[in-house]
Amino acid sequence: MMKRPLVFGLCLFWALVTLFPLYWTLVTSVKPPTAVNGGPTYLPYIDFVPTLQAYIDAFSGIRGDFISPFINSSLISITATALSVLFGTMAAYALVRFEFRIRLLSGLIFAALAIGGFLLFNETLGFSRAQAMGLAFLLALPACLLANRLPLPGPVLGNNDVLFWFVSQRMFPPIVTAFALFLLYSEIGREGFKLLDSFLGMVLCYTAFSIPIVVWLMRDFLAALPVEIEEAALVDDVPRIRIFFEIVLPMARPGLIATSLITLAFIWNEFLFSLLLTTSEWQTLPILLSGQNSYRGDEWWAISVAALFGIAPMMGVAMLLAKLMRSGLTLGGIR
Amino acid sequence: MARVELKGVSKAFDEVTVIPALDLEIADTEFVVLVGPSGCGKTTTLRMIAGLEGASGGTITIGGREVTDLRPGLRNCAMVFQNYALYPHMTVADNIGYGMKVRGMPKPEIATRIGEAARILGLEPYLDRRPKQLSGGQRQRVAIGRAIVRQPDVFLFDEPLSNLDAKLRIEMRTEIKNLHRRLNSTMVYVTHDQVEAMTMADRVVVMNEGRIEQAADPITLYENPANTFVAAFIGAPSMNFVPATVVGSDGGLALRLNDGSELAIPQDRWQRYGAAKDRPVTFGLRPEHNSGGGAGEAVITLITRAIEPLGPHTLIIGEAAGHGYTAQVDSHFPAAPDAQVSISLDMTNMHLFDPDSGRAL
Ligand SMILES: Nc1ncnc2c1ncn2[C@@H]1O[C@H](COP(=O)(O)OP(=O)(O)OP(=O)(O)O)[C@@H](O)[C@H]1O
Ligand SMILES: [Mg+2]
Repeated sequence: MMKRPLVFGLCLFWALVTLFPLYWTLVTSVKPPTAVNGGPTYLPYIDFVPTLQAYIDAFSGIRGDFISPFINSSLISITATALSVLFGTMAAYALVRFEFRIRLLSGLIFAALAIGGFLLFNETLGFSRAQAMGLAFLLALPACLLANRLPLPGPVLGNNDVLFWFVSQRMFPPIVTAFALFLLYSEIGREGFKLLDSFLGMVLCYTAFSIPIVVWLMRDFLAALPVEIEEAALVDDVPRIRIFFEIVLPMARPGLIATSLITLAFIWNEFLFSLLLTTSEWQTLPILLSGQNSYRGDEWWAISVAALFGIAPMMGVAMLLAKLMRSGLTLGGIR
Repeated sequence: MARVELKGVSKAFDEVTVIPALDLEIADTEFVVLVGPSGCGKTTTLRMIAGLEGASGGTITIGGREVTDLRPGLRNCAMVFQNYALYPHMTVADNIGYGMKVRGMPKPEIATRIGEAARILGLEPYLDRRPKQLSGGQRQRVAIGRAIVRQPDVFLFDEPLSNLDAKLRIEMRTEIKNLHRRLNSTMVYVTHDQVEAMTMADRVVVMNEGRIEQAADPITLYENPANTFVAAFIGAPSMNFVPATVVGSDGGLALRLNDGSELAIPQDRWQRYGAAKDRPVTFGLRPEHNSGGGAGEAVITLITRAIEPLGPHTLIIGEAAGHGYTAQVDSHFPAAPDAQVSISLDMTNMHLFDPDSGRAL
């Protein structure tokens, strides 16, 4: 009997801890500058007289352009989420339903040919770096696929190893990838194909970076689906691709929604890639937010407004998707 | 024309052979039941016919067409699974019609076929429901409906009734049999329930450890089991097995049990068992071929251990000649536990098996 109040108390305490920053941002956004700078004040109308001046300033554009980073962030994160969930789920499905046997040696052959080919094409044959990269890739991929069919010696990797390979891409610090990506993009840009500070470049990089998480999450969701349902469709001569889209995806709906939400939140909040790979045109909201205090000093009321701009859409999406997920879960009775 | 032929079909999962070369011919319009203990390879065999599992060796032919390496969809089979395997997000009508829709059949024809299947299976009131809103029996009917509209060469059932309660199982048994008569198509049905096998099949295939022990019509299986495995598997309660020796007596043959008692072998069997004279054998007799009392010609003494009154008759479980023995007697036969009773045997239904190979003599 002693336990319940204790648990309730702890929950309440934790709710306060998580909600207080949000509340603080909210009240700060309606404070006049004097109320911000003159020591802590907590309650509007009691501690200070609230004002919407900070919002008016934001919309009138005094604090820089809010609208276009907001649109950029929306477009990029929605597109990249859709793509990474689609391709990541396909990859996860393949890992669940098909058995892959990959010879370690053929992977090494790929690495050797890709790097060696690049050096050959670039330094010996005088292609530009981006061209050499493309050519080396075109050489290495078929060679490695072919090599995998030969009875090469050495260890053979299975599905779990492939999964680990996917997830391992997220294990080193993102800055490593970000710099490499910056170099890659600028090289490709030199060939006249603009990826830096472009919609395509941002979508590609976020898609690539999100796929591992999607694969990892979706694999468990898909593995939990009963295989007989798909087998029934196979016997009925339904093509695999239609089984995937018309049977597997609807059954995996709760998982898809949860995964999309996680991916979307990640991309929406991502800072480092955007910082390195965009300059002006396709800048995203986090970059704008981080730049807030450098415009005119620490104007916390204005920074709060900007922060709320960043938070509000995600909260809306989270609530919407959570609702969808709940209805999906009740529909989920599979057997 | 949908004969199914398995020639030397084998299956190994990573080195472990679960089915050594297996030969089975299923005639057109035949209802064949594969039965056997758990893990004997019934499902694997069925899945190899469906193409969901590749065969490690041998050839599979359906309707004169070799399908060994064909993908499942091209074999024109329909399969019904134990756990229904309905599409959970589709209505009953969509579940039944989905395959036809994918194959690009015109809408009116799809509707006609769905309507007909629903009528046959009594699903008309439920066409707009989702699987979750149906009972187990209704779900399995939807699965059968999905199979019917395919108009397949062969129907494959993998324990379709195992998830249903006993009463519904008996109803569905009859329904599937009626369906077979109506559709007149080839059906292969897997079960581990020997009653289901006996009641439904034209021919029962008894499997054990991936091998076919015997394939025959139910009555032949019951009356002439090929070996002790089939003899023990078919019939409930199981056949009694008692070691004995065939001896000569009065110019004919008799069985001598371990306790020295002798049971005369009927004259019409003398020739058949002549070669076994003076050899040890396993004597087999079903519980239902016994009766209480010492009135018959072949009488043994049974030490009773347990009495199981079942209503129409009573089972006495006990020991005879040092071996476990079950006798089915009249409900009013006086018997008490841990007593001795005389049981007379109906030797016209006797079986003899080779004690080493288990094969029937
Ligand atoms: N995918 C698999 N990998 C390895 N072994 C398997 C696989 N599927 C089945 N087996 C083995 O093959 C044997 C036959 O299995 P199968 O499912 O055909 O048995 P069954 O007769 O249908 O049994 P049950 O009555 O329990 O369904 C079993 O020993 C099983 O362990
Ligand atoms: Mg089985």
